[in-house]
Amino acid sequence: MDLSTLEPGDPLVDRDIVITASMADAYTRAVGDECALYAEEGLVPPMAVAALVMAEAMEAVSLPAGTVHTGQELTFSRPVTVDSAVRCSATVAANSVRRGTRFLTLDLRGELDGQPAVEGRAALAVPEADG
Amino acid sequence: MSGAPATLAPVERRITQERLVEYADASGDHNPLHLDEEFARGTPYGRTIAHGMLVLALVSELMTGSFREAWLRGGRLKTRFRAPVFPGDTVRATGTLKGSDGATATYDVAVTNEGGENVITGEASVTLDA
Repeated sequence: MDLSTLEPGDPLVDRDIVITASMADAYTRAVGDECALYAEEGLVPPMAVAALVMAEAMEAVSLPAGTVHTGQELTFSRPVTVDSAVRCSATVAANSVRRGTRFLTLDLRGELDGQPAVEGRAALAVPEADG
Repeated sequence: MSGAPATLAPVERRITQERLVEYADASGDHNPLHLDEEFARGTPYGRTIAHGMLVLALVSELMTGSFREAWLRGGRLKTRFRAPVFPGDTVRATGTLKGSDGATATYDVAVTNEGGENVITGEASVTLDA
């Protein structure tokens, strides 16, 4: 994707993802989170939802390999239970270039039954091709 | 839980390359900056670095440790990634109460590396249970 064409409001992702117990377990193992709450209550860590939406958005825009995450805002409004279908969406919030680096800001959202569960804004620094 | 502790029980974790691979598979973020040593050598970092969201997960764990489901129902994070975390680093997430009005508690949060450098700084707020 030509990142220079992205404009605020452009949709990047809008699809349902079912987060299974094995996906949630893989996430908690990977981050090393041993909080019993998730297993006891059958909940998905909210950061797992945010990470999945983020990865979907990054894949949608085919970000170059050297892209770095510079800032993150997140709001958690509802617990997500395993095997729930989470509506994942992402849109462009801002897109600019300064001194050879593209600064891309994405709005992220994970909804359950039409209500926000996880919302956020990610700031990314994207290396521009030489020349 | 009612009330807000002045400090939160810290969360410490060693970041390894194996953890980055596991995280990439679990999250779907396969950016080679985190996984490919040869690619990473050609970047300003010179070697692979941890996913920002992996390190930020420690802050969420810090908040969940004290506030349990209240964090999942009414948590807010606003953070900056200040410095990279490299495989082999041990990082520590901490939180210090900044203010509370009885309904919401706000913490200054940070993740530091072994050298005491802030790799993440920011603010976390939680709506307290009645």
